Amino acid sequence: MIVDKIYTENMFLYYSGKMALNDISIKIPEKKVTAFIGPSGCGKSTFLRSLNRMNDLIDGVKIEGNVIIDNINIYDKNIDVVNLRKKVGMVFQKSNPFAKSIYENVAYGPKINGISDKKQLEEIVENALKNAAIWDEVKDRLGDSAMGLSGGQQQRLCIARTLAVNPEIVLMDEPASALDPLSTAKIEELIVQLKENYTIVIVTHNMQQAARISDNTAFFYLGELIEYDRTKKIFTNPDKKQTEDYITGRFG
Amino acid sequence: MENYRIFDSELEKLSHKVIQMCSQVNQQLIDVIKAIKTSDIALARTVISNDEFINNLDVKIDKLCQKIFALQQPVASDLRYIISALKINNDLERIGDHAVNVAKRIEPLQDYKQLVEEFGIDVIGEKTTILFSDVVELVKTHDLTYAVKIMNKAEAIKEECEDIASRILGEMMHQSEVVVVAANILIINNLFERITSYSTNIAESISFVVNGEIVKHKKHN
Ligand SMILES: Nc1ncnc2c1ncn2[C@@H]1O[C@H](COP(=O)(O)OP(=O)(O)OP(=O)(O)O)[C@@H](O)[C@H]1O
Ligand SMILES: [Mg+2]
Repeated sequence: MIVDKIYTENMFLYYSGKMALNDISIKIPEKKVTAFIGPSGCGKSTFLRSLNRMNDLIDGVKIEGNVIIDNINIYDKNIDVVNLRKKVGMVFQKSNPFAKSIYENVAYGPKINGISDKKQLEEIVENALKNAAIWDEVKDRLGDSAMGLSGGQQQRLCIARTLAVNPEIVLMDEPASALDPLSTAKIEELIVQLKENYTIVIVTHNMQQAARISDNTAFFYLGELIEYDRTKKIFTNPDKKQTEDYITGRFG
Repeated sequence: MENYRIFDSELEKLSHKVIQMCSQVNQQLIDVIKAIKTSDIALARTVISNDEFINNLDVKIDKLCQKIFALQQPVASDLRYIISALKINNDLERIGDHAVNVAKRIEPLQDYKQLVEEFGIDVIGEKTTILFSDVVELVKTHDLTYAVKIMNKAEAIKEECEDIASRILGEMMHQSEVVVVAANILIINNLFERITSYSTNIAESISFVVNGEIVKHKKHN
């Protein structure tokens, strides 16, 4: 049975009074990869950030409507945002490791969540690095600075860092846009593996990437959700002309 | 909102070639029917030698499709168009081959014009050719009213072919001296039936391009 992990109802978002998301209602299934596509500025990142309340950090943001994760409205007053972000992790476009060791980058999250047992931390770090498909490349140099890793390795390290706090949902904003084809392929393969245990939402400008790795695809345009369907349908026979024009490169 | 895409010039080229292929095949059918009706052996030979041009075009279209797949990674209606172009190209090439197969059997029939007319082979051939002229229009215009027309007409033609076939078989049983000629006519009849089937395939492919639904194997009405 398909469980809707996340759903939004009539969601609007304004930056200082200017509408950026216009009436978004969407159901995102559990343990699937859902891709957000659309031209620059259409609100993909804004919508992604609103799924773990990252927009709260921006001045002048106003949100209306409901964002429901596991049947709880995450914008309720009594929601613990730190816990929410633990459950809903995020990976950004530009990998942003700390200027610390590889080990420390991954152990950081579990540590601030109160885990101090060395053995336990080591185990968490190893598992996270393995799940992020980078363990073999770094296991002999965990004490080295993360800054010495390649771009593709840094990105997988950031994924490991996100996984280390044991999230249920992983949001990714163009996670492979700065990577070469081989590193991109590794990230894509990783994403497909991760969906066994995690619900993945990914923003991408790479149509082929969305087509390859996602189960469902949502097309956004000017702050609106224009079309949302199985990826196969979107890329073979979309219902809306705007979707068709965008994915075939006729506008955007 | 509309952008110019490098892709569009490739698609235009492809579409142009497919239409060209259609027109060539159409001419082959027109000629082969004329050759049957007038027992024009020279024309039948022309049909046979013109096939090479169609075969070359077939290879060109295949290569162009391959190139577009590899370099443009088409999606949505573009994807459907190229998949269909490949299939249509294949169907056209087969129709071309069958026109040649018919042409090759004209010479042995030249002294049996009466039998050809009696079984209505010239008429069924004419109907097949007229059907194909609708295919040409459909491929040019993507106007699905032609597709519906083709599918309906094709059903009727195929039924007629079956009737003709059983009449020929009857004749073969009763008049053993015409067996060889009748077998030849039977084969031609069968070839027209095949050409009709390929025409239906093309109608289905264009329907797929236009609305993305696979109509193959569905009953038409
Ligand atoms: N912090 C902000 N303050 C004000 N406006 C913002 C802010 N962030 C985004 N916007 C505006 O909201 C709209 C949506 O932006 P968003 O970054 O979500 O688009 P996007 O689809 O992710 O684009 P891209 O593909 O370029 O990353 C844009 O018009 C943008 O200018
Ligand atoms: Mg963005």
